[in-house]
Order: sequence, then structure tokens, then C-alpha cells
Amino acid sequence: MTLLVAATLVALQAAAQGPDRRLARLDSLTRPTVAALIDSARAAALPTEPLVQRALEGATKRAAPDRIVAAVRRLASDLGQARDALGATASPPELEAAAAALRAGAPPATLTALRRVRRESLTVPLAVLTDLVGSGVPVDSAAVAVLSLAAKARDADLVEFRRAVERDIALGAPPASATAAAAAFAAGAVDVNAGAKQQRPGRP
Amino acid sequence: MFEPDEELIGRVVRQLRQPVTLDAGLDARVMAQIASLPARRSGGAARAAWRWLIAPRTVRLSPLGALAIAAVFAAVVLWRPDRATRPGRGRPASGSASDFGFVVVAPRAATVALVGDFNDWDAGRTPMRRVRQDESVWTAVIPLTPGRYRYGFLVDGVRWLADPAAPAARDDEFGTPSSVVTVGGS
Repeated sequence: MTLLVAATLVALQAAAQGPDRRLARLDSLTRPTVAALIDSARAAALPTEPLVQRALEGATKRAAPDRIVAAVRRLASDLGQARDALGATASPPELEAAAAALRAGAPPATLTALRRVRRESLTVPLAVLTDLVGSGVPVDSAAVAVLSLAAKARDADLVEFRRAVERDIALGAPPASATAAAAAFAAGAVDVNAGAKQQRPGRP
Repeated sequence: MFEPDEELIGRVVRQLRQPVTLDAGLDARVMAQIASLPARRSGGAARAAWRWLIAPRTVRLSPLGALAIAAVFAAVVLWRPDRATRPGRGRPASGSASDFGFVVVAPRAATVALVGDFNDWDAGRTPMRRVRQDESVWTAVIPLTPGRYRYGFLVDGVRWLADPAAPAARDDEFGTPSSVVTVGGS
């Protein structure tokens, strides 16, 4: 009986470590390579779910096998660089956001600096940085703005900051100027709010 | 076949009245046995519980029971923390899920599906609904935990649309547009 239980457990453990069943949606050429990339990422303690999702995205969009493999491989590499920049304690959402930021052109040093200045999750600051660059803001300007806000701003403040920049760009402002102006405004708003909280009577 | 009752009783009484001779060493032997028993100590309940825990036992188990136990172990082994947080996708939860609405205008569309990182890019999992039967506005609401998600709209099963109200995914490597939504936790 003990042998039966042990054999069942071993088999299930092997199944748990086996290829993700969702990868069955990939064609027979792509699946083994993607599975191997995912196994390598798991062995390196990198999050594997983004890799699975990237492969599934390619499958759903009927991309060619070599494009799917290249996309997964590139993302795995980006996740590794993101972990190097943010440290081993970074959460999977942070690593995924950092990988996108690196792909957008953010230097690893900016990611490391963000980790130093912000205690809360870096997912939203990194996403805002990536989105600003995607909106045409130069990487340096976007990095300076996000770094200046990241220490105190809440996630919602950062998202609102990004919207303000995009709105100003849509209205014709140069991206770098729009970013600097919105950052200055947001920093002021954060300080005002912090002061108002301190002066509010009867609250801890 | 049977003796009369009085005669039988009389014989038993006479037998019981016979003097009994005890062995002279009986008392000594009884006391020696008592002395050889382990002494009772304080903390008896805890010690007894510990002895119960460490004593080897034989457990009898039916095959069905063994399989049930194996199933419980399997559930623990197979559970992956990075799969349990949101529909079809999983990263470790870095916050609680909150409902997030998606809206797209797709005139003349017969069907629109919301497809992305949050539903394994499965076009059948999150069909969008028309706001009204005669209008071209389609909506879907799904729970999302904090994180960054890539997604798109699949119109009539063949045409991909990015979300015009959201940032575009820059690392779009498959030749069709995707958008990005970031859900914050604070």
C-alpha cells in the first residue's frame, strides 16, 4: 500500500513538473522548444507564466513557429536582465513590467534606482515608464520623471500622471515638455496631499 | 443423577472451612514484583502523549483510502502559486482582484472577444456583450489583480483590434496590434 501511495505521488510530481498542458495549443514544431525555454526559466527561478502567455498569444495570432520561439526566448532573456537589475526579491509582476521597460529602452540602472527609492511594488512605475516611452517621451525624460515621483506617489497617482502626459501630447505638447510639466504638477499634488493628511485634525 | 441440594451444600461448606496454608515466601515475591514496576512521575499526560506519538503503529488502510490520501497530497503537489490568482492566468497575487471594464466600438461586428494575458489568449473565454442590441459598443468586465496585461479584441474571430483608449504594446512581435493595461495596487 505504501508503494502504491508513493508511486502515485511520484507520478503526480512528475506530471506537475512536465510541460504545461496549455502548450498543447502550439504546433508540434514549436512546443518542444518553448517547453525547453520554460524549463530553463523555471530552473533559473524566473517567472514562467509570462513566457506561457507570450507563446499562447503567438498561437492565437497564428504566428509562425520561429516568431513564437524568438519572442519567448527574448522575453526570457529580458526577465533575466530584469531580475539582475531589481534583485532576487522582485515579484513576478515586477519582473514582467521591468522586462517590458528594458525592451522599451530603459537602462537597467534606472530600474535599480527605482528599487532603491520605492518601497512599494514597482509594477506600476515601471509600466508608466514603458508607456511614456511608447508615447514618444525620450527614455531619459521618462526615467527622470518616474524616479522623481516613485518615492511618494501612489499607483493611482502615477497612472494619472501618465494620462496627463498623454493628454498633453495629444493636444500638441512636445513629449518631453509634457512629461516635465506633468511631473512637476504631480509632485506638487503629492506634497500637498501629504501635508493635508498631516494637518487633518483627529486623524492618526 | 443429581445429589440432593442440602448434601451438596454441606460438602462445599466443609471444603471451604478447611484451613489454607500459604507459602511463607509469598509476601516477599509480591513486594519484589511491585518494586520492579517503573515509578510514576509528574507530567504524566504530556509524557503519555509523547509516548503515543512516537510509538510505532500498524495502520490498516483500504486501497480507496490510500488513493484518497494520495489525491490530497497530489492537490498540494500540483498546486502552483503562480496559477491561482486570476482566471486562466497566474502570477502570485500582489493584491486583491478588482473588476476592470473593457469597452470597444466595433460597428457591424457579429462577435467580439476580449483576449489577453488574463485568459490564456483564449478567444472563447471572454466574449464581449453589446451595450444595446442596435449599437456597436461592446463591453466586458473581468477581475484583475495588480499587474501589467497585454490584450486585444478579436472581431468576428478573424480581425484583431487594439484598444484605442490604452497604450499600445511596444514589444508586439506577432504582427497584430495589442494593448497594455496596468492595474495598480495603491
